[in-house]
Amino acid sequence: MAGGIRDWTIHRFGLQPIYDRLLNRRVPRAPWYSGDGSAMLALLGIQVMTGAVLAMTYSPAADSAFQSVVYITQEQTLGWFVRGLHYWSAGAVIVMVTFHLFRQILFAGYKSPREGTWMVGVVLFFCVLFLGYSGYLLRWDERSIHGIRVMLHMLVRVPLIGESLVTFAQGGRDLGPQTLTRLYALHVLIVPLFMFSLVGFHLYLAVIRGTITRAEQNQPVHSAEEQKRLYEEEKSSPTGGEWFFPSTIMKTGTMATVVVAATLLLTVTLGPQELYPEANLTDGSMPSEEWWFWWLSGLIAFLPPSIAPWFIVSLPVVVFTLLMALPFLDRSPVRGVRKRPIWAAIVILLVVIILLLTDYRRRSTFAGWPELHPPPVPEGMALPEDAERGRQLFATYGCNSCHAVAGHGRKVAVDLASLQGQLSRDKIREYILQPPVGIAMPGYEGRLDESELVALTEFCHVAQTFPLR
Amino acid sequence: MIDRRNWLAALFALGGAAIAGVVGMAAMLSALSPAWRHPRGERWRSAGDTAGFALGKIEPVVVRVGRNDWSRSLDEKTVYVYRRSDDQFVVYSRNCTDLSCPLVFDAGSECFFCPCHGAIFGKEGQPMAGPPKRPLYRYASRVREGVLEIDLDSLPPMT
Repeated sequence: MAGGIRDWTIHRFGLQPIYDRLLNRRVPRAPWYSGDGSAMLALLGIQVMTGAVLAMTYSPAADSAFQSVVYITQEQTLGWFVRGLHYWSAGAVIVMVTFHLFRQILFAGYKSPREGTWMVGVVLFFCVLFLGYSGYLLRWDERSIHGIRVMLHMLVRVPLIGESLVTFAQGGRDLGPQTLTRLYALHVLIVPLFMFSLVGFHLYLAVIRGTITRAEQNQPVHSAEEQKRLYEEEKSSPTGGEWFFPSTIMKTGTMATVVVAATLLLTVTLGPQELYPEANLTDGSMPSEEWWFWWLSGLIAFLPPSIAPWFIVSLPVVVFTLLMALPFLDRSPVRGVRKRPIWAAIVILLVVIILLLTDYRRRSTFAGWPELHPPPVPEGMALPEDAERGRQLFATYGCNSCHAVAGHGRKVAVDLASLQGQLSRDKIREYILQPPVGIAMPGYEGRLDESELVALTEFCHVAQTFPLR
Repeated sequence: MIDRRNWLAALFALGGAAIAGVVGMAAMLSALSPAWRHPRGERWRSAGDTAGFALGKIEPVVVRVGRNDWSRSLDEKTVYVYRRSDDQFVVYSRNCTDLSCPLVFDAGSECFFCPCHGAIFGKEGQPMAGPPKRPLYRYASRVREGVLEIDLDSLPPMT
């Protein structure tokens, strides 16, 4: 009886061909790390589920969007968990998709007959980045509004149609309700729909064209025909091949489970991303992008001014074009990481650069900011009256908006304590009045009276001898 | 020689293309319309009484945008007013000219700081450090009956 129902279900719902062609097939033995794709599929499922729940409460209208996110986070049952999971799985997808992309470059997974799989993957990569960006704009807090303005400022640099692109993107002459609503449509409807069809396509191609195998990495492969022969040989051999179900799925499933578990752990320990004040164009704010874009921000700060503005606009176009063209640029028959040390070096270099830039942005030592408190006097040190007055003036005149003293304050300009007493009083005085040309410091000629100038000079002079921390 | 089968295929292809074209064009035109529906004109808004601005000082001023749509969100923006002389006013946009991050004015050093990538601008709007090469955006301004007015449309739409 039970068997009868089972057979009926399999037949009437057409499950047999799916089982035969998808699960019950021989494939070349997969390494453990090939589970990055399964991990992304699992995360995508989480994104859809949590996103659907969020969309049921979220209000895509500028007047109420922020309050609805506050409600989800603070009032809705388990809302903090759903929002947190949506946030952390978004971060995890970005990490995994980068890992996946670099892995394919490392092993030459884009070579024949998998150029199509690769190109669809590149488009998916950019979809993921766009979702990872548009997601945090919907929170409609200060971080969102300034994130939107950065995008608009990139668009306006597009030659000829820049300004029209901006009015199109923000939905009018000003940032307003339409800006949020169109971002909402893109984030929850247009891009996900497009992406879903592409994910299906990508998986279909991965099934019919396979993924890069060990045999392909061990010897040069000159043509799609040769690849096919190797692939068939390998998957049928008892040592080189395995059953997709359960062997491959076991391995990829393990990795997916680990990644999802890590995401859950981050969600319950750190919770959803902090909400900043509601979107406004009036208050002072120190916005930052989400951590997965810190490297890009660090790069903008790092580049010389002569190329930075153009570089940032053309970077996505250049990267997209290069990635799409990669299978046609790299036509050598060699695959795998061992025989392609240059590619390994490139990938390692890129990863190191991304990590360094991320840290650079995290520290943000390049940004000045008004600092109202004067630098503290080192313990056990008493300042003469003049220097003490100078210490107060150091804050009054915004010196410590850029200069740290013994590690206290902003670190844009030189830390006075690091000068180690090199500068004479005259030199300091001259510097304050009229800094050398090309130094990003305002001259104070005409702003200070003589007694203030003396006091400030005294403080700078003694600050040089403060012990460095 | 056109047979019945080819002829029908061509008819369906043409019909399909016509429907797709009508729907697609209408959808596209409607979606893209904000790009040309809001041409730049002139929009003068008050930035406050001139008497309120001290000589030689730079002050943040909140200006009402008055967008005239269905939402009250983001209807105010901060600009910086610099009174250079008795009758000379400079009104800076708060945007960094690099990527639009919101600048803060530090009255102590009389510099504008950008929180994003380390841009610093001087009192005259000149870039002093960081990525931007372009000086601060300035709104067109005028004084009418003792009130300083600025033209919101005198700058690109995202400022």
